[in-house]
Amino acid sequence: MLIRFFLFFSMIFSNLTISESLYKFDNAEDEKRFYSLIKEIRCPKCTSGSLASSNAPVSEDIKSKIIELIKEGKSNQEIKEFLSDRFGNQVLYNPGLNKDTYFLWFAPGLFLIMILLIFFFRKKT
Amino acid sequence: MLIEIAHFLSIVATGLFFLCFIFSIFFDSKDVYIINLVSRIYSHSFFIFLSSFLIYVWLAINDNFSVLYIAQHSNINLPVFYKISSIWSAHEGSMFLWIIFLTTWGVVYNFSTKNDQLLKARTLGIISLTSVGFLLFLLLTSNPFETILPLPPENGADINPVLQDPLLAIHPPMLYLGYVGFVIAFGQAIAFMLEGDPKIKWEKQVRSWSVASWSFLTLGIALGSWWAYYELGWGGYWFWDPVENVALMPWLAATAFIHSLSASSKSSILRIWTLLLSILVFSLSLFGAFIVRSGIIDSVHSFANDPERGLYLLSFIGILVMTSLLLFSLRFNLLISSKKIVSLSKESFISINNIFFGALIFSTMLGVLYPLIYEFIFDQKISVGAPFYNAIFVPVTLIACIFLYFSIDSKWQQSFNLKALYQPLFLSIIFSVIIVSLIFFQFSISGFWTLMSLTVGLIIIIRYLIVIYFYFAYKRFANFFSIISHCGLGLLIISIALNDNLSSERALNIKINETEIYKDHQITFTNLRVVPESNYDSVKADFLVTNPNGDTFTLTPEKRKYFARGQVTSETAIHASVLKDIYMTIGDQLDDGSWIVNIQFNIFIRWIWFSAIMMVVAGLLLVHSLARSKA
Amino acid sequence: MTIIIRFIIVSTTLAFFSFFYFYINEDKYYPGADFTISEMPNFKLKDLYSERLFKIEDLEGTFLINVWASWCITCRVEHNFLTKLDSKNIPIIGLNYKDEEKDAISWINRFGDPYKFIIHDYKGELALDLGVTGAPETFLLNDGKIIAHYRGEVNDMIWEDVFKPIIKKENLFNVN
Repeated sequence: MLIRFFLFFSMIFSNLTISESLYKFDNAEDEKRFYSLIKEIRCPKCTSGSLASSNAPVSEDIKSKIIELIKEGKSNQEIKEFLSDRFGNQVLYNPGLNKDTYFLWFAPGLFLIMILLIFFFRKKT
Repeated sequence: MLIEIAHFLSIVATGLFFLCFIFSIFFDSKDVYIINLVSRIYSHSFFIFLSSFLIYVWLAINDNFSVLYIAQHSNINLPVFYKISSIWSAHEGSMFLWIIFLTTWGVVYNFSTKNDQLLKARTLGIISLTSVGFLLFLLLTSNPFETILPLPPENGADINPVLQDPLLAIHPPMLYLGYVGFVIAFGQAIAFMLEGDPKIKWEKQVRSWSVASWSFLTLGIALGSWWAYYELGWGGYWFWDPVENVALMPWLAATAFIHSLSASSKSSILRIWTLLLSILVFSLSLFGAFIVRSGIIDSVHSFANDPERGLYLLSFIGILVMTSLLLFSLRFNLLISSKKIVSLSKESFISINNIFFGALIFSTMLGVLYPLIYEFIFDQKISVGAPFYNAIFVPVTLIACIFLYFSIDSKWQQSFNLKALYQPLFLSIIFSVIIVSLIFFQFSISGFWTLMSLTVGLIIIIRYLIVIYFYFAYKRFANFFSIISHCGLGLLIISIALNDNLSSERALNIKINETEIYKDHQITFTNLRVVPESNYDSVKADFLVTNPNGDTFTLTPEKRKYFARGQVTSETAIHASVLKDIYMTIGDQLDDGSWIVNIQFNIFIRWIWFSAIMMVVAGLLLVHSLARSKA
Repeated sequence: MTIIIRFIIVSTTLAFFSFFYFYINEDKYYPGADFTISEMPNFKLKDLYSERLFKIEDLEGTFLINVWASWCITCRVEHNFLTKLDSKNIPIIGLNYKDEEKDAISWINRFGDPYKFIIHDYKGELALDLGVTGAPETFLLNDGKIIAHYRGEVNDMIWEDVFKPIIKKENLFNVN
């Protein structure tokens, strides 16, 4: 019985991250920025899900790093670039607007407008 | 021995369903004798197949670990309820359940439709064909009847502890019920197209089935969202996960479909839209099944990861969908009616509604497929997530809602006088602007889209309140199904906007007997205790929370270690109230003995599911009312 | 008009399903393998056994970096293969990832040392810069550039399928 509890506690401890960051922020804005950023960054180890939804060790490390970068005054864009340089573009849930993603961002709107136009201007024989 | 019987019964059922299909297609489907025959064979096949499933359930309850699947997913120590639900906790069993529900809808249709209905035989035939396709998939690639002989294990593996949850046990059945219910509309549509007689009013016949399926689908998705919220530990309720998206697309199509049905069942307008949508809804359900089952898009739901399965499903679904769409492209010209859609009539608004939903379906499909296409072309990986979907859904939904607002006064096949709209329009805008301003000043909400969402949601609700008032005061007509479901929609928009804007969280670092203050609440760590349970050990942390009014309550998040697989999970503790949820989870313990504890304030989150329930209720009420008017 | 609609419907569905057909059948990239070329990041970390500090300048030529830890069970399985590589004179540098020094040292004492030297990345700083998500992971470097990154256990099969092709292509290690 006692051994079981001991094993259990050591099981929790082994999740312990060595990083010291305790999610301490200098101000409320930083805190808000952090929590909204981690929703937009994909956990590189999980099959799917954001950093917010993951407590994998590497996710915790990345989160600590993000807090560090926020404290250093880095912008959201800089933080995202920092992470995509290291973990690949797929770690960003926002694929960005560039020549390869124009279709993604504009097709829905164009589709909607096109069909609406056809509907409103169709020949009413 | 029993398992072999169950296996045999499933094979027999497959053959009989196939026979059913053959008779309905290659013989005169309008001959009463044939209809009787098809109907009989279908019922018999169903009961044989059902017996196979019931034997399987019996084997699961009785811990028959000679069945490979049961050994992999169940365990002697599981409560009976979870032994049963373990059947659909993974691929083979899920498919089994899917086909059971598919055939069940068929048999209920069979029993409640008279044999003099012209399309009945072929509808049953199509349902049978679909069942055969999935049964072959089950028996040939995903066999739940495989055995471990001659030495069955004494005990099974434990199922993933995260799956041992009552809500999660109900979520798949509810969802599947919704998905496959549309096979009836699909079958009728195909039968209608094959028959080629535009005078047959198939739309009227499928309305109840479709609205009922829609209600189940809505409920299934809402349950999944609620489960994810309290189980996964980070307080989100929708993740734009690929598998969530492929469940959303049939729902969008189904919503458009039931609206289009309401128009076509009353007149011959919008029949082409309705026909197309009936094929689209079921195709998207099948597509969803394909995506999840083939594991082609990695996701938290992924059960299977097998190209053979993917190819089979793809071929089967591809042939089914392509044939039905081909048939559609050949027959839709039969439905080009001489009646044109009158501007500003209800039908015109429903057409516009269909277009908006079509755009949302297109966008979701694009978001889901884009990473695949991108990887295929550029050999690089990208992810498309919440930022994209939010950017599309929010504006499109709000604009569609504005059209909804104007449609409230529209009439069937007639235009309406816009001038009559001035007073209610004025009233609703004034009230909602007042309310939104109050909210803005009280809570300092910022953000253009948040404010727009609140305004749009409010004008819809206020407008309907005016309608209700007129109903009671002046006996003016009111469609309560519309009122309840659309108010649900308005409430959904408002809740999502408020939740997104006002919620907050923090990771506290706290030792026993210490108190931290968050958002004017005092949180005291009162106790840490270890509690053994039947299949896991639990560490419970008690927190006494005092709110600004002086009320206190206890929250006890815990960490559990399950014996069978050694998995450690975190259980959330939630204090729910009308305006917000206080949500806590335990993190890790640090070297100095203190614990990291996550606390979240989720504002208005219960209202999100409540609005989904409103829609479900509206749907079920409509089904009830349709059933009563038929009888 | 009808013909246009027919054409659109048929072609869209056909395109849709063929795409999936080709996608499933495609020889996808080996799951876990990444061949994007990137610069080796800068670092300053301690040797596992001494106080000596390693810097990027200490890394020369062509070699593997293997990320491992004493708490990593798969690493024990991988260890045999690494010893085999070492005996074939493939230089491997160990990156000890988020491990206690004494645990790492006793692990090496117990199972053997296939590494030219071992960098002790206690906080996982270099690992983060490399994009490491866990252990074991292996990088192939040539001339200061990372040319291959594999997540997971390296064994005969992975070596053949993932690393050998690029080794041959770049003509590395002369013999192997």
